[in-house]
Amino acid sequence: MLLTTLLLSIPTPADPPLPSLYALRVGRAETIAHGTIEHAVVLIEAGKIVTVGQDLEVERGIPVIELPGATLLPGLVDCYSRLGLDSDGSSGFEPQAKASVELYPDQKIWAEILELGVTTLGLYPAGSGIPGQGFVVKPHGATREEMLLRDPSYLLVHMRSDPGSKKFLRDGLEKADDYDEKEKKNVEKWDKDQEKKGAKKDDKKEEKKEEAKSFDPSPPQDKAKKERKGYVPSEPDEKAKPFVELRQDKLRALCTLSKAADYLHLLDVLREETFEFDLRVFLRDDVDFHHVMDKFGEKKLRIAMDPRITLQPNTRRERSYAMELAAAGGKPVFVPRTDSINGLKDWLRHVGEVVGAGLDRQVALRAVTLEPAQLLGLGDRLGSLEPGKDANFVLYDGDPLEVSTRILAVILEGELVHGEIDQ
Amino acid sequence: MKPARATGRPMNSLLLLGAALLGSVMPSLVAQETSGSKSSDAKTADAKKDEAKKADPEPKWFAVVGGDVHTGTGGLLRGATVLAKDGVIESVGYSTDLPEGTEVLSARGLQVYPGLVAISASLAVSQGSRFLAEDDLHMRCCVDFGKNGHLHEGPLDAELDLLLADQAGLVDAQSDLRDAYDPFSSSLLMTLAVGITSAEQSGGALKLKRGEIDGVVMRERFLSSFTWTSASSGKTQLREKFAAAARYLREKREWDVRKDKVKDLPEPSKKGIEQKILSVLDGSARAKFNANDRDDLLGIARLAQEFGFRPVIEGCVEGWIVAEELGRAGAYAIVYPRQRRDKDENLVRAGGSSIENAAILHAHGVQVAIGPASNGIDLGGITGRDLLHLTVDADFAVRGGMTDAAALAGITTVPARILGIDHRVGTLEKGKDCDVIVTDGDVLHYETLVQYTVVAGKIAYDKQKELLFAHIRPRTPGDGKTSNSSGDSAPASAESQPPQR
Repeated sequence: MLLTTLLLSIPTPADPPLPSLYALRVGRAETIAHGTIEHAVVLIEAGKIVTVGQDLEVERGIPVIELPGATLLPGLVDCYSRLGLDSDGSSGFEPQAKASVELYPDQKIWAEILELGVTTLGLYPAGSGIPGQGFVVKPHGATREEMLLRDPSYLLVHMRSDPGSKKFLRDGLEKADDYDEKEKKNVEKWDKDQEKKGAKKDDKKEEKKEEAKSFDPSPPQDKAKKERKGYVPSEPDEKAKPFVELRQDKLRALCTLSKAADYLHLLDVLREETFEFDLRVFLRDDVDFHHVMDKFGEKKLRIAMDPRITLQPNTRRERSYAMELAAAGGKPVFVPRTDSINGLKDWLRHVGEVVGAGLDRQVALRAVTLEPAQLLGLGDRLGSLEPGKDANFVLYDGDPLEVSTRILAVILEGELVHGEIDQ
Repeated sequence: MKPARATGRPMNSLLLLGAALLGSVMPSLVAQETSGSKSSDAKTADAKKDEAKKADPEPKWFAVVGGDVHTGTGGLLRGATVLAKDGVIESVGYSTDLPEGTEVLSARGLQVYPGLVAISASLAVSQGSRFLAEDDLHMRCCVDFGKNGHLHEGPLDAELDLLLADQAGLVDAQSDLRDAYDPFSSSLLMTLAVGITSAEQSGGALKLKRGEIDGVVMRERFLSSFTWTSASSGKTQLREKFAAAARYLREKREWDVRKDKVKDLPEPSKKGIEQKILSVLDGSARAKFNANDRDDLLGIARLAQEFGFRPVIEGCVEGWIVAEELGRAGAYAIVYPRQRRDKDENLVRAGGSSIENAAILHAHGVQVAIGPASNGIDLGGITGRDLLHLTVDADFAVRGGMTDAAALAGITTVPARILGIDHRVGTLEKGKDCDVIVTDGDVLHYETLVQYTVVAGKIAYDKQKELLFAHIRPRTPGDGKTSNSSGDSAPASAESQPPQR
């Protein structure tokens, strides 16, 4: 069945080019979650994946798009980009700054990005130090609201081995400490007020007694844990807020490092902090992250890096940090080597090079789909072919990591946004 | 398990005793001064103990066994053992009982020296070469700065950092050196590979630990630079500033005593007094001058004697002419033995550089530290003029008549004193940090390579494990190795003699 005829058979005009409910039958699907499936069928409804399986029977009446020569990959996720944004950025200590203020939907570049199979883009704030919070878009849509998937995505922290950048992070955490301290007092005060109120009302005497019982002997930590109906926590200072949210797991941190020592300095500042963070490391030939690779692995860190084989400092010895990280127990994430349209064009070719040098293929595919989605806090919605996730696909005419492979089509939330899929 | 015994050769100890008696190498002046305020030392020591208690109740033992130990205090103990507990030397000597689980580094047939102290070292030693090799990142940084699309010639990452730090008033004197420390850089590795375990950085002193950043700063901002101008007005001004500071200190002391007895006694004003000078006069910092001319040297000596502080004089090229005066002023000299300077032909008096400079200064009681021809780690190394050839610089002093021991002190104990870290490094003695180098010969010999560098009781460099010098005269398997057992140690074989000068 030709897609065009399929389209014609639908009364609605060209607006949704694909029906709301349809099935894709492809030669091969990289599910990411459950490995590679040959002769895969994916059922899509209302922009979401319903089921994925091998040679599934499709109920009569549901349109089936047959693409036996195609390989299906979840839409690519680039989690560290500045494409489409243009500003001098904030520099220094601006944790409250939101990169999303720079978002302008009406740009040609979004379509170009989408055509290259990138259905999700994590954008970061410009600047150095702690320049602000990133956000996530789909490179498609007429308005900001349509484009935005998540805002904020992560708090960006550029950690370098210097007193300046360490102080930024220390200051931020101290602000959060101050807030926590203040909040503790507020809660105590609130509890006292409640007690007084209870005392006034005779019918609530018993409740008061109960409260008083549990109150006096318990240490303040237990008090803090108690549920308080009607208590509204105070709003933290705008610069403290991101750090408070980090501790409450409402926000993640993405820390960039330029060399191994930066990680020790990061740990030096974090000390007993327990919030989760991901890393972004910049790979160049004399980079020395092997010194801390076991530390990365210990924490099972997710680390965004360039798909690149690097040379050990002062030698011609090749190292594959993605492979070393995977072996150590960490999770590699690939980011295009250059943040440009050309970078996106070469992205999977470079990933292919790293696979050629020994990285597990599944780890590599995961590193351009599910892992970056996790890094952006959208792992439950994007990045793999699983029921309930967004129907974001790239269809290739062969192995996506092969140089000669071309993109046949790009599907975003069930809609065809690039290419033709009539056979 | 029976504790093992590192047996030395007792017949040597008689000889050694003689050596020790003869070996009061240091002029007696030295002994008087223990640099550094005691209280802070005690504090750090306490902090250290607390830390050790908290983190690891089991002490970590480390021993260098069977080497010829040059203690730096005048003794040579052949086939002796250096035992360290948690990075601090517990004992140096013979018949040492090694506690169970001691990490043993066998130095049989090798020479053991205190780690060298570089009196002047480029920041690359502790901060790596981030200023050079960050091209890729530098480009990204420009992208980061929103110069999207066209990559222009922007400032380096480091410069931006500094700029930003400056803007926000962020430069925090207390943690500068620690917060920028790179324990993995190749410059650091190269520095360790030549036996340097402590280095001056921005007037402070760092312990060159590898792989960790805790406890690297031994002293911060201790050396304080002063400019000595030849112009008489400048000299007068400086003298007046010192006089004012001295007067203030005197008045303050008096006020401290009297303030309880006399009501409303005004506190002496600190106005116009330079803090830098106060620090020098109260001993919390050391004044460093850069001077070479005879007249300048004499001027500094006089100033120092008048106000009662010991000056550090860097350069000191014509010091040999006025060595006696400098010695009397208790001066420290930082000498670059390969520095050359012609005599001013207009003058009748002696002048210019002398190959004997270091030797003459030392003979007159000046504390002589030997500095490298260049303090960087760079292409200068090809011609042997950089920090990596510190021992060769010491050789030039020996060539000019200095004794081996004094030259070695010039790259260990004297720089340690100048930096105010001599209570921790410079010699191998009980209570000092276990910073030890193990070499395959006389440390000052040009052919000698460092086999192991130990920093705070941990092996920070092993020649055969790093790519730098492993291929040059590879160490034969018997020549010293590490083991974690405390097995019995047979006496060292007499055959394996190190190259002698």
